[in-house]
Amino acid sequence: MITLQSSDKDVFEIEQSILIQSGTIKNMVEDDFTFIPLPSVDTETLIKIIEYMKKHADKTDSKEKNIKEFDKDFMKKTLNELFALVFAANYLHISSLLELLYPSIADRIKDKITEAIRQIFSIRCDFTPEEERRIIMDNKWAHEGTEIEGTLD
Amino acid sequence: MDSLPDAIVPCILAHVTNAKDVASATCVSKRWKESIPYHNKLVFTRTVFDKLKNCSTDEIVGHMVSSINRLEELVIYCPFTGSGLASWLSSAGHSLQKLELKLDDNLVDLNSCSRKLDYIGAAALNLESLKLWGVNLTQRPKWHTFHKLRNLEIVGTVMDDSSLHAALIACPNLSNLLLLGCDGLHNVFLELPQLETCNLDFNGLGDCSLTINSLKLQHLEVQGCSWIRVLETQLLRNLTISNISGRVTGIDFGKLVALESLEMRGVQWCWSAISKMLQMASEVKHLFMKVEFTGDSDVLQPFPEIDIADFFNSHPKLIKFDIHGAMFAALCQRNSLKNVDSRFTIPCLEEVVVTVRSPLNAEQKMNTLESLINYGKKLRKMRIKILQMKSSHTSADDFFEEICRFRGMNCRIVSIE
Repeated sequence: MITLQSSDKDVFEIEQSILIQSGTIKNMVEDDFTFIPLPSVDTETLIKIIEYMKKHADKTDSKEKNIKEFDKDFMKKTLNELFALVFAANYLHISSLLELLYPSIADRIKDKITEAIRQIFSIRCDFTPEEERRIIMDNKWAHEGTEIEGTLD
Repeated sequence: MDSLPDAIVPCILAHVTNAKDVASATCVSKRWKESIPYHNKLVFTRTVFDKLKNCSTDEIVGHMVSSINRLEELVIYCPFTGSGLASWLSSAGHSLQKLELKLDDNLVDLNSCSRKLDYIGAAALNLESLKLWGVNLTQRPKWHTFHKLRNLEIVGTVMDDSSLHAALIACPNLSNLLLLGCDGLHNVFLELPQLETCNLDFNGLGDCSLTINSLKLQHLEVQGCSWIRVLETQLLRNLTISNISGRVTGIDFGKLVALESLEMRGVQWCWSAISKMLQMASEVKHLFMKVEFTGDSDVLQPFPEIDIADFFNSHPKLIKFDIHGAMFAALCQRNSLKNVDSRFTIPCLEEVVVTVRSPLNAEQKMNTLESLINYGKKLRKMRIKILQMKSSHTSADDFFEEICRFRGMNCRIVSIE
């Protein structure tokens, strides 16, 4: 059994066989660590990560359909939750979870104009006004019929 | 998202493939803009440019294609010109692995559609997969060899025999071929040594003839041929032959040692073709029979009598049997059960689906159904589909009652639809 500690100092005891899905944890276990602090993963996110790994630990054929259903539901989270999971899965090197997260986050970008994307993802526009004008001109067609088009003149 | 590790933003953006979304994403921030050259797939949907007023859509496509360093997959469903295609392929052709284009040239005469196919042949020689919608292939395409092409799909096309032949010579390593909704073919000869899956659907009178010589063939589906010859069949596992508008007159296959599933469909097959096909498919586990009539001329005839013991003894591995069309009536003739004795078994049969079309020979039909249950020791499911019967005759009602009683006695196995 391996003990994981979240950034909120909560501890979780999980079987080694489940945790080796995380490349990071696997390496530490091979170096004989049994207590693994994870200062960049908060409790809420760690609970979800553990839930994911438990479900994916048993990959027999009969469970495949079950796992697919679980994955679909697992992705029904807020964007902030998904970001937290991406950070954690990236740090923990859980590639199957990352492969699931990337398209789910990308889905939130679909059919949105630039300004909407910035708002949803809380991104600052870091172009200079001149750069921004130029790049919107280059991609004018995608903004046609929207507010941004009106500001070009 | 600002604080996401640099390596992750491109991973997420790689899943944004609709051209309009990519264009919006490019304008979001410097980091997003810098990810775009590492994209590898672009999709231009049918309506992506619909709302635009005075715009050269070819130019927009060109601008986006050239902003990506190594474009691997390009899908274009919106209208475009030949010269546009030529310029995009000259910029992206070297890295392009998958190309899908909606040409819509098949309903247009050759002189008025530009030679878009030739441009593909000129620039995209590293292609692994090519899918085309609406192709006019009535002239040989100017194609050099697509050495890496494994998958070719053409949907909606007008062709002729020699142009198809010329196109396929340029694809020597094809492992999957799909031709759906093809007009204009008469004699098709396929000699593709790597071919594993082949799905052909020919429009017209159903009188095409087809010859295939492909050692590795595993799945074959053909619609619209009257004569089919497949020389090498050692690996053939799944076979579907159907003919909606014509008659299947002859089939010629090598030994079908690996055949697991066979589907025979169509309005009319010559009896020699049916019996030969059934005889060759002795190893089959799943048999789907939906041939309506037999007969060697335009006169539609019912099947001759089929001996049940003979049939099941020559198909001992049969697990699932779909009996539609004229087959059921043939199994329900007076002498069909003649050779059934106490030693007879149907060893592997687990599932049967039967279509019953008329109340004639009701007693024999019930006998056959009962025999299937009695001798099919492993039978778990029997679905009886009852098609519209002329219910003005009381025999139809009586028959239906019989079937319901039969279901009652075998309710764990039998269900009625």
